[in-house]
Amino acid sequence: MGLEYVRISPGFEKYMPRDYVDLVKFGQFGREVDVMQLGQFKELVEEHPMCAGCYMAYFIRIFYAALPKPEDTIVLGTAGCARLALSQAAVPFIYGNYGDTNAVASGLKRALSIRFPDKDKDVVVIAGDGGLMDIGFGMTMHSWFRKEKFTTIMVDNEVYGNTGGQESGMSPKGVQLKMAPLGKKFEKINAVQLAIDSGCVYVAKISPTNPKRIAKVIRRAIFAARKFGPTFIHAYTSCNIEYSIPTREVLADARKREKEDFKFFEWMTDEVKEFLEEIERKEKEKKKQEVKS
Amino acid sequence: MYFVAHVHENECAKYNCKQCVLFCPEPNCLNYKESGHTAWVWTDRCKGCEICVYVCSDLLKRNCIEMVMVKAGD
Repeated sequence: MGLEYVRISPGFEKYMPRDYVDLVKFGQFGREVDVMQLGQFKELVEEHPMCAGCYMAYFIRIFYAALPKPEDTIVLGTAGCARLALSQAAVPFIYGNYGDTNAVASGLKRALSIRFPDKDKDVVVIAGDGGLMDIGFGMTMHSWFRKEKFTTIMVDNEVYGNTGGQESGMSPKGVQLKMAPLGKKFEKINAVQLAIDSGCVYVAKISPTNPKRIAKVIRRAIFAARKFGPTFIHAYTSCNIEYSIPTREVLADARKREKEDFKFFEWMTDEVKEFLEEIERKEKEKKKQEVKS
Repeated sequence: MYFVAHVHENECAKYNCKQCVLFCPEPNCLNYKESGHTAWVWTDRCKGCEICVYVCSDLLKRNCIEMVMVKAGD
């Protein structure tokens, strides 16, 4: 971790893979990029084996572009689709056992704050609905009860997509899946309300239809977690395979769901609101000065 | 032989929009060059999902991207 870790030793540039050299020369390390500049810099995440048109992959792409300090970030994931792309990025990635991501993240964040007391080291958990709300439910909830200072992002595809389409706690009521032919009999878990009641200081629910907004939410969640406590983002990232969405219609589906049950929602405590407004005001001033100069 | 996106650069350069680049799920697959004000596809990275075509043709009605067949080695 840190910029020294990323730099290529002098004289070794010509032996390094092209993608790595591009990453150091034109990447995000050590400079702030705006998510609207995507396509004009080398991204942290590389080619990954996720399905064509997967919107979880899209969310992860925006997530890496939005990271405020990639050189000081550790990402944790678990079994599920998301790990396929997370493990292909130039940010340290820890692969937990199924369900224990938030327990691992708790220990990691505490260790980092002892080892680097004067630096902000961000720990972010990205796992699916199975990893956080079904199998990892206990550890997710207890990390929130203990007010651990890291960000949890749930990429909710509403199904166990890797193992053939079993229903999860987050599948909507009545939905028929390959391994749930009778239709789901129970309601979708209200993860956002659970997070608010369990002590998260910043909670958001989002459908990936607006990259600028996704980046803003992710940055807010990470900044709030540095100082105040647990933060949670619930993102809708459809599974176009298990829900049989034609790849061309994936964005249309995200827009449709945004109008229905994934309306943008953001909740934070008053002190977090004050803190974030202060940070965003400073960022705006900095940008204005850059434009002037 | 597989399906990839192809940007008609002359058409694309008329608009300064970049929306397809912002909605592609693959990293560094659809890129943008400042010099020609146009998007371009890194063909090796394209999985052929057509989300860019949806954005360009269905949402924005600009019809600058089309899907084409390429052979290995193209």
